Amino acid sequence: MRKVTLVSLGGNTYQLEEEAHVAVAAYLDRASRALAANPDRAEILADLEQAIADKCDTFLGKHKEVILATEALQIIREMGPVQGNGEEGAAALDAEAAGADAGSVRPRRRRLMRLPEEGMMGGVCSGIAAYFNIDVVWVRLAFVLLVFVTGVWLFAWLAMLIVMPAARTPEQIASARGEALSAREVMDMARAKSADLGKAAASGLRDAQRNLRETFGSRG
Amino acid sequence: MSFSEKFIAVRKGLLEFAVLRAIAGEKLYVADLLKRLAGTEFATQEGTLYPLLSRLRRESLVDYEWQESEAGPPRKYYRLTKSGQQALSELQGYWTHLTRTLDRIGN
Repeated sequence: MRKVTLVSLGGNTYQLEEEAHVAVAAYLDRASRALAANPDRAEILADLEQAIADKCDTFLGKHKEVILATEALQIIREMGPVQGNGEEGAAALDAEAAGADAGSVRPRRRRLMRLPEEGMMGGVCSGIAAYFNIDVVWVRLAFVLLVFVTGVWLFAWLAMLIVMPAARTPEQIASARGEALSAREVMDMARAKSADLGKAAASGLRDAQRNLRETFGSRG
Repeated sequence: MSFSEKFIAVRKGLLEFAVLRAIAGEKLYVADLLKRLAGTEFATQEGTLYPLLSRLRRESLVDYEWQESEAGPPRKYYRLTKSGQQALSELQGYWTHLTRTLDRIGN
């Protein structure tokens, strides 16, 4: 049994599985951001919404009233990523160039971030390991040995703990690993976003203090 | 690098040309237009086509009119404007010029 959300697309009511709704909302949200500088943004968004509605219609019938999550993902794949001003031409051709598979959203540059969820303390070593795509054990081992050689490395670790931002949301963790986001991750991301909205931008110092507090406060 | 990869930039640049050509023959709505391009080198998606059409409309090369449809809400049918027809014939001339140039270079 799955929850269903009622949505209005192009002036008609559609019933979407909860996950389908999250995926479609995330798609339109991305489109809206991509079109931020476009003077015809509102009109294009309305067109896209109508196109999604038309595609939903093909999945619906007398005995089929709900758009399933898998169907929503197929619709989103068919729609393709939205390009800002229409200057760049074919996004589909771009995806082909990047060798991206149909399920992924976009390839991204890898970022050096801590992975607190996976780390023993602050996730510094895990972040470095993810960045260079090596086993975290080697990074930890190297750090421990280096600290034995000279304590300076302890300060190096502390500095990285402060400087490296923590990867917490699925989107951030994916960018720390340099992976393309899968459709499911986009859904999770959309969910996490609404939860995260309140605690947006903290100043660098506050952030650093929090990093330290979290690492030492909770674990030792 | 495959042939099709090498020419991605060319096809991207020509998509606008292909769209203008497609709606020069008859007015089309986006689903028709996508169908016409599907299966060709210029196959594309709504996410690309709507922003492109809106830009062409801003440049006054195309315009649309609403038409009722039996299957659902009214649809936007796109057609070329006067300056769109002119732009298309200029593009066509330039394209012919380019291919001729390429032919000549070989000989």
